[in-house]
Amino acid sequence: MLKLAENPFYVLGLAPDASRIEIEREAQKLLGMLELGFEAARTYATPLGPRPRTPEAVRAAVAQLRDPYQRLLAELWARHAPASLDTAPAEEPAPPSDLRRALGWRP
Amino acid sequence: MAETPLYVGIDLGTTNSAAAVFDGERVSVVRNAQGATVTPSVVRIDKQGRVTVGTRARRFLEQDPSNTAGEFKRLMGTDKALEFPAAGIKKKPEELSAEVLKALRQDITDQLGVPIERAVISVPALFELPQSAATSEAARLAGFSRVELLQEPIASALAAGWRAEDDAKGTWLVFDLGGGTFDASLLETRDGLLRVVGHDGDNFLGGRDFDWAITEHLASLLPVVPSRSNVHHTGALRALRLAAEDAKIELSRGERAQVALAQPLVIDDQEVEVDLELTRATVERLCAPLVDRALDVCVRLLTSNGLGPGRLARIVLVGGPTVMPFVRQRVAARLEAPLAEGHDPMTLVAQGAALYAATAGLDGRAAQQAPTTGRQVWLQYPAVSSDLTPHVVGKFVGAEPPAKVKLVRADGGWSSPEAPVAEDGTFLTTVTLLPRRACTFQIEATTGNGTRVEVSPPALTIVQGLTIGDPPLSRTLGVALANGHVQVYLERGAPLPARRTFTHHTVETVAKGSKESVLRIPIVQGEMTAAHLCRLVGTLDIGGDAVKDTVPTGSPVEVTIELDRGGRLSARALVPSIEQVFEHVAHLLVPDAAPEALDSALRDLRRQLMELRTDAFRHGLTQVIEKLDRIEARLSEAERDIDAAHGGDADAAQRARRALLDVDATMAEADLARKWPELDAAARQAAITASSTVGFHGTDAERTLLQDVLAAMDKARKDKDAPELERQMRLAHRLSSAAFNRTPEAWEWYFEEAASEMSKARDLPRAQKLVKEGKAAALRGDTEELRRVVKALWQLLPDDSEARKRGFDSGVR
Repeated sequence: MLKLAENPFYVLGLAPDASRIEIEREAQKLLGMLELGFEAARTYATPLGPRPRTPEAVRAAVAQLRDPYQRLLAELWARHAPASLDTAPAEEPAPPSDLRRALGWRP
Repeated sequence: MAETPLYVGIDLGTTNSAAAVFDGERVSVVRNAQGATVTPSVVRIDKQGRVTVGTRARRFLEQDPSNTAGEFKRLMGTDKALEFPAAGIKKKPEELSAEVLKALRQDITDQLGVPIERAVISVPALFELPQSAATSEAARLAGFSRVELLQEPIASALAAGWRAEDDAKGTWLVFDLGGGTFDASLLETRDGLLRVVGHDGDNFLGGRDFDWAITEHLASLLPVVPSRSNVHHTGALRALRLAAEDAKIELSRGERAQVALAQPLVIDDQEVEVDLELTRATVERLCAPLVDRALDVCVRLLTSNGLGPGRLARIVLVGGPTVMPFVRQRVAARLEAPLAEGHDPMTLVAQGAALYAATAGLDGRAAQQAPTTGRQVWLQYPAVSSDLTPHVVGKFVGAEPPAKVKLVRADGGWSSPEAPVAEDGTFLTTVTLLPRRACTFQIEATTGNGTRVEVSPPALTIVQGLTIGDPPLSRTLGVALANGHVQVYLERGAPLPARRTFTHHTVETVAKGSKESVLRIPIVQGEMTAAHLCRLVGTLDIGGDAVKDTVPTGSPVEVTIELDRGGRLSARALVPSIEQVFEHVAHLLVPDAAPEALDSALRDLRRQLMELRTDAFRHGLTQVIEKLDRIEARLSEAERDIDAAHGGDADAAQRARRALLDVDATMAEADLARKWPELDAAARQAAITASSTVGFHGTDAERTLLQDVLAAMDKARKDKDAPELERQMRLAHRLSSAAFNRTPEAWEWYFEEAASEMSKARDLPRAQKLVKEGKAAALRGDTEELRRVVKALWQLLPDDSEARKRGFDSGVR
């Protein structure tokens, strides 16, 4: 749930004000379409361009939206999403180097 | 398959089992050959090898205890085989469970008149993965071709909610006191959707404890007192316990009961006549502390979800012991909420399992060879829908599909508009359901010129009613790495079924043909980042005798972990370099519980406890001291069980083993709490670092998210919740890593770090070459190349062996 492109509203192709029933209905439809290999269900639109849609992603999206707190977060996010991220972020100064060491940066 | 499907649910209990069938509108409980709705989970094998199950077998528990087995569910997942000396055979717990399932399957078949091959079987919420695997195996042995597992509290909630019509709104509690375990689940229904809000429980509390409390009381009244730790007293105690059980049931109605045995007990070569009286008040006095323990769990669950007493809409009682009037009164009084009436606490779980089978679309009938007349169509629709207007998605098989499709409800009250069929055969439409009914729809397909086309299947059925969200994963699941850390695959709360794939790299060579060279991928469950604090639940081994070709160090391995709805684990490792897939997960048995091993584990834990306690007192950590007091109490209980284990009680041994495991985990938590100041400081540092990096280099979304993580860290710090704080730190760290990796000099910095450790590399010449290439790339400012070099270098650097041991000898990084 770290990625903007994985916002559950994008995954389900719904507006942030969708009702609970609408969410369930749409998810059930998408899962069915994916199972039967509908071309239209295979990708979803995000501000970062189209992304592949998987049954796991759909189920995870519904689960997230069922939780009132997570849904609120997703709503905020979907609303504040930038229209496009094509423009490169402006150059910014680097953080002080000791900070990197603080947590052992090697992933 | 013109008739409506039949959905089967089975409650495979510790003391009793039950089955139920749902036909789309009504749930009915299956009766066995004796006409009863519950079948005791007892199996007897006589000297001809004949197997008896249920009530008839239970009668022999007293007369012929050595050839009659009960409560084997508690041993599921262990390799402890039970002996039947008369027939001279041994049976594993799953084989005995299979006998019970076979009997139930026969009862269902008798009642329905059709053979049953698929069902939903309920398992306790706190079942470990090996226990779930053993349950699936039992079903397979009993002749089921497919089963899904469902957590018991979800089953009871579903059954209670299904009947509840409109007054089901709000939050409610399922209080499930079974034979051996206690589960409390908090649920919420809204818009016809059931959601599990929270769960808590006690794996060591159940009706058996009631029976033992009464038995020990009765024993103390005898002139010669039998002891649980004495092997020679086992028979006498068993007889006494069966009498206690009967008396307890009698006292659900009457005020007093007689406990008299037809034959005198023989204790230490003395004949002891048993003729005692038991009053309801005595039983209540003996059992009240046990009920209160269950209620403490409930209060803890309510508090952690921000609910005070009196805020519950209702309480659903499940399990045999909840039939006792004083239990009902005590629960209602303490939690200040009404009890849901009209449910059978003995069969509610089976009913819920049957309802769930419908939700999962698991028709119980044996697959019939459907005569394929007409155009074949694949359909996707919810078998149960809370939504009154669900979608139906379909696809015609083969070229030149019909042009239009219409769905007509069988009652004739509704039909869909004609939906166009696309060139690839796909179509999409919605149907309108009748509330709380099973609706069948005929599929009418027509060609472009209006000719009717026969379709196979000709119809579909959808049930309108309560549905349940995907069950959440109860504990975080991941892979232990060679550096002793855990790569998290699925976080706690992830909806099941779930699947996740990550690429790891091997840290040693697997030589083709060498039996000794085995690469181990340990799968662990738990909330800690350190692997040794998590539980090992399975391993995936890549053995030298299995590989097609030698797999050199540093080779990528793509590991996929998958969990089905019932929490059943499967894992797969793909080694791209040799194009080979390994999928055999060695399911760990629940470890052996030899009394001697338990003794030494107990000693060890007591010593640790002493150390922690001294330390906690020295630093005045009241919270830690409280925790340790609870551990102390648990250890004393475990000690009693270990005593009984020395007396030959395998079940008590398992209980003790699990209690010790539990204590071990709680102790780790207490230890974490002791290190709180250290952790707190690390959290502050992590917060500063993350704010700075994400602030400078993060995207808007990352910034928003970091705010959230920081808030959660704050809360965890306030609550002094060490595991949660660790989890949030992990998130903060990941966020800042993501932001930092985006900066151009990130890889330069990683390169310098890796290059400084070059002398430790496994392949020094190669490392030197890489460092040279890296320096050149850094000069050119070629980030891509630098990234490649750094990653190659990391693979050459060793993990220290201590860490690897803590990571369950993991062979991947």
